[in-house]
Amino acid sequence: MTTASPSAPMDVLLVEDSPGDVRLTREAFSETNGHVRLHVAYDGVEAMTFLRQEGEHEHAPRPDLILLDLNLPRMDGREVLALIKEEDALKTIPTVILTTSEAEADILKSYELRANSYLSKPVQLVAFNDLVQSINDFWSKARLPQRAQK
Amino acid sequence: MTTTAAGRDPALGHEDMYPMLLDSIQEHAVVLLDVSGRVLMWNAGAERLKGYTADEIVGRDFACFFPPDDVARGRPAEVLRLAAEQGRHEVTGMRVRKDGSRFLARLTFTALRGPDGSLRGFSEFSHDLNESKEAGARYRGLLEAAPDAMVVVDGSGEIVMLNLQAEKQFGYHRDELVGQPVTNIIPAGFSERLVTDALRTPADALTQEIGTGLELVGCRKSGVEFPIEIMLSPLASAEEILVTAAIRDISVRKASESQLAQTEAKYRGLLEAAPDAIVAVGEQGEILLLNAQAERQFGYRREELVGQQITQIVPEGFAERLAADGLRSPADALAQRIGTGIELTGRRKDNSEFPIEIMLSPLESDEGVVVTAAIRDISVRKAAEANLLVKLGELQRSNEELGQFAYIASHDLQEPLRMVSSYTQLLSKRYSGRLDADADEFIAFAVDGANRMQRLIQDLLSVSRVATKGRELEPTASDDALGDAMRNLQAAIDESGAVVTHDPLPPVLADRAQLTQLFQNLVGNAIKYQAGGTPTVHVSATGDELEGWTFSVQDNGLGIAPEYFERIFGMFQRLHKRDEFEGTGIGLAICKKIAERHGGSISVESVKGAGSTFRFTMTAVGGAS
Repeated sequence: MTTASPSAPMDVLLVEDSPGDVRLTREAFSETNGHVRLHVAYDGVEAMTFLRQEGEHEHAPRPDLILLDLNLPRMDGREVLALIKEEDALKTIPTVILTTSEAEADILKSYELRANSYLSKPVQLVAFNDLVQSINDFWSKARLPQRAQK
Repeated sequence: MTTTAAGRDPALGHEDMYPMLLDSIQEHAVVLLDVSGRVLMWNAGAERLKGYTADEIVGRDFACFFPPDDVARGRPAEVLRLAAEQGRHEVTGMRVRKDGSRFLARLTFTALRGPDGSLRGFSEFSHDLNESKEAGARYRGLLEAAPDAMVVVDGSGEIVMLNLQAEKQFGYHRDELVGQPVTNIIPAGFSERLVTDALRTPADALTQEIGTGLELVGCRKSGVEFPIEIMLSPLASAEEILVTAAIRDISVRKASESQLAQTEAKYRGLLEAAPDAIVAVGEQGEILLLNAQAERQFGYRREELVGQQITQIVPEGFAERLAADGLRSPADALAQRIGTGIELTGRRKDNSEFPIEIMLSPLESDEGVVVTAAIRDISVRKAAEANLLVKLGELQRSNEELGQFAYIASHDLQEPLRMVSSYTQLLSKRYSGRLDADADEFIAFAVDGANRMQRLIQDLLSVSRVATKGRELEPTASDDALGDAMRNLQAAIDESGAVVTHDPLPPVLADRAQLTQLFQNLVGNAIKYQAGGTPTVHVSATGDELEGWTFSVQDNGLGIAPEYFERIFGMFQRLHKRDEFEGTGIGLAICKKIAERHGGSISVESVKGAGSTFRFTMTAVGGAS
């Protein structure tokens, strides 16, 4: 076990199909003054390719945090979450659901699939920025297991 | 004139006494005729009976004593021929007097022959049967004893005799009828009957019982007609055709018969006019009668069904019901109202089936219990009911879909709106003051519009959530709900310095979150719509466990003009300019939705400038059980 350096950049995988949201998230992180490297997968299939470092993502880093939307083309966020939490190599990666859905069923299902937390996207820009700030603050401070050796 | 040898000697010198002897016979007419029937001699009895004096009649043909019909038939010659052949001929028949009137006479014609046997002439002895002391009296007695009017008519249809009853019945005196045609009192039908009866034997006639007689019309002297029944019987002894007619006035019987017929016709009419098929069924389930509607409904002709089992047209359920109904009193059956009948299936002749409703009522009759069934074809009603169910289902579906649509639409609208809103805000944040004044203003309007639209969508969602996200109603302490609402409003209360008080509040059947929202909106409004003084709000409840509760939220605020009492509960209805009071005008619409979802209602009472009282009703906890 080693302590992650506070100055070490944090690799975050954002799984999100809306370019508008991607940009908003990127903007929000850029205002946090943190060292975040934001990677984007535009659907569930691409997210799994990235995480498994397959194909074009052969050299992709293992993310320190996954921000996962639920409604995605091809393979939706629930399936992605289930796969992540089933794979030994991936299941320790903190996975945060970041979605517009406020449905009780989605919240319950996500935690049953061992999501690390569930966040609804605020409607107001200020609130959204605050939320991203919180994510950055929290997960940059949280202690995580040492990266599994390849 | 011949005399016996024995009588000649003593009578010698007394020949002049013969006419005296003859004249002494008053009861009998004694007439001496020559061979051709001319009158030779005429006694006093003949004068009395027939009205002619000897001077008037001697030398004339005796045919003048016969009714014209008889003369026409050659009766006079016939009589003489028979007398000549047989030596003696007796006959009963009508005789005509000088004045034309008639009488029934018993006549005896005797051929008078000389010693050589040659025919010299005839004697005619006759007497009026009506006056007869023997046969006549007996006959008359019989006639008078008869309960009916009796009229004796001869072959030519003339009245020969009649009794007192006949006089009374027809209103004539005897003399006015004897010798007159029977058509005077029985205008039609009698003569025809006379002919047929002449062909019958007396035995046949006797077997014709009273009551099976011929119905004709009698005519009184006054001209008034009345129904009669007549029984005819030929007189056995009469050589000439004589018929005795017993005539009974059947006015009373006819009247009651026609009344019965009318009553029957009325009931039959009622039966046929009934809108339902009506079938009467006997104890064994056999069909006794049915109306035209029943024929039409089941496609049978009447005669095809009468006597058949009811199961032929109502295969199931009727017999069982019959048994049950046999045990009911008619009063019970009557108590069974139309519309509460049992629903069964009817079967037409072509075997097609259709839904029916039947109403049964037992009727005690001479033949046992008869059950009358009113059978209504309820195909149309059934189809309408089914149609109504389908429509109801469609309505429910469409309502749900509409609710879903509102929710989904407002939810999905949020996504693109969030983009518009976020990026205009981002624009504002990054570029405010870096472009020009116009750009700043434009961006400000875009941000404001997007924000307001977000509020509207949030409100729409709130309204639709009242129905789609509502929880089960359960016993809820309403003062707890008010407590929750006050905590949510704490900031506003603190800021305004409002004084919110409440009476003890009853438990009600509610969705606690929604009841909280209801209080929160009402109390929130009470604090918000103020002219600037200290808001005071009082919450109370009246009612009971049976009738339910009415809650009041009373304030000292601005008040509302009466014309807006209805409108304020509509969606997005605002009474104030945006810069006076914030809000989209959804709060009271949500309140109304919540009250209605709880089976209650909401209303307002207010005087402009003197505060408002909002009232809403809630079901009591005990009210649901």
